[in-house]
Amino acid sequence: MAIINLRKKEVQAKIVYYGPGRGGKTTNLDYLYKKLRDRIKTEMVTIKTHGDRTLFFDFLPIEIGKIKGYDIRIQLYTVPGQVKYDATRRLVLRGVDGIVFVADSLEVRRKENILSLKNLSDNLAAYKKSIFDIPLVMQYNKRDLSEEGLPLIPFESLEKDLNTKLKAPSFEASALKGPNVIQTMKKIIIMTIDSLQRELR
Amino acid sequence: MTQSMDDKGLKAQVENRLADLFSDEEGSLETMEEGRSMDDHPFKELKVLLLSIEWEITDDAMDSLIREIKGRETAYHDDRIILTFLQLLGSAAKYIKVNKSKAHPKATRVISLVYTALEKVALSEGMAQAEKEKILLDEVARFKRLREEVKVRKEEIKAQVSSKTRGVSVRQEREAVVTPPEETPAASEPEKIRVQPDLGRIPPHEAFAHALEEIKEVIRAEFKALRAEIRLWRESG
Repeated sequence: MAIINLRKKEVQAKIVYYGPGRGGKTTNLDYLYKKLRDRIKTEMVTIKTHGDRTLFFDFLPIEIGKIKGYDIRIQLYTVPGQVKYDATRRLVLRGVDGIVFVADSLEVRRKENILSLKNLSDNLAAYKKSIFDIPLVMQYNKRDLSEEGLPLIPFESLEKDLNTKLKAPSFEASALKGPNVIQTMKKIIIMTIDSLQRELR
Repeated sequence: MTQSMDDKGLKAQVENRLADLFSDEEGSLETMEEGRSMDDHPFKELKVLLLSIEWEITDDAMDSLIREIKGRETAYHDDRIILTFLQLLGSAAKYIKVNKSKAHPKATRVISLVYTALEKVALSEGMAQAEKEKILLDEVARFKRLREEVKVRKEEIKAQVSSKTRGVSVRQEREAVVTPPEETPAASEPEKIRVQPDLGRIPPHEAFAHALEEIKEVIRAEFKALRAEIRLWRESG
């Protein structure tokens, strides 16, 4: 749930990057932070395990500035993707306003993508939210691995597996190299602000 | 808020602001998709299998990986350097197969780094033999460090188990002085499975407490691994 402070004229929205473990959620935020740190003037908070996995969440606040007299603040979070951290994932999802589902394009991860999307739907349902109603952007990550000749799931199959019913905007991306990482973030911010505006009408 | 935000121009304003703030500096995917083919890559299958165990370590995946490494060992039996790389990978893979999720957290990282080095040596045309040997020695050293860490970890676990067992037997002896130990049916029951509470149906503070417990467990494991590493570092210094 976004925090809207009428007195201070502030809007704070929460966007969560969700998806299977090792799919590139933290790499998305790392890329954004690396590219934008001079402009956003905030710090990224990240807690990793000994094995370089996300322990709790990563957090990157972004100040968009004043729009229509309101200070717009966006908080980007990731969840730990490993199956065993479901309680942490649910906790991070509390009060979420928009979601980026980061799917792994590697052929061997097909099943994990589907399970993670199902897990997202279940965890949202626990907060009485529907995956069909919340602003959602699909990101098919690791497309750069085709460069190395590794077998990837074709875009059409990813759409069929994950997006047939949801019909969310989708991007092929490489969180490591950059293509469509900023585009994905822009899209989810616009959709989230738009959704908040509609809720407030 | 409603008055100000309820404006058709808002979306456009947000879009413009984002365009100003985050001018696209991203590369293009088109160039990526024109990448070189991996059809003739000698370790294509090995690479795919290694990527798959990053996600989940299953018996099937580990069996396929070990089989593939053996196959490559046969193919490269007359190349001493490549063969040693493959043997390192094989040993690490067997260790992970046996220990699965209880394997040292660094094991999968080491296996991936050894593979990267192998690929570098095998695919770099014109690399001098001395350079190949240096890269191999670095990886052997990395592998040895992992083996030491595994050893320390094993000893720690063993020590913990024996101290717990000692604790139980001392307690039992003390209890025996007062009353003879009764046969407890619970002792023969199968190990209890920890059930995840349905966090959606419990109050927020309880949900937080559960998540906190989950994190505490991981932090404990992390500290244990760090302590082992510091001890190793001190010993080697």
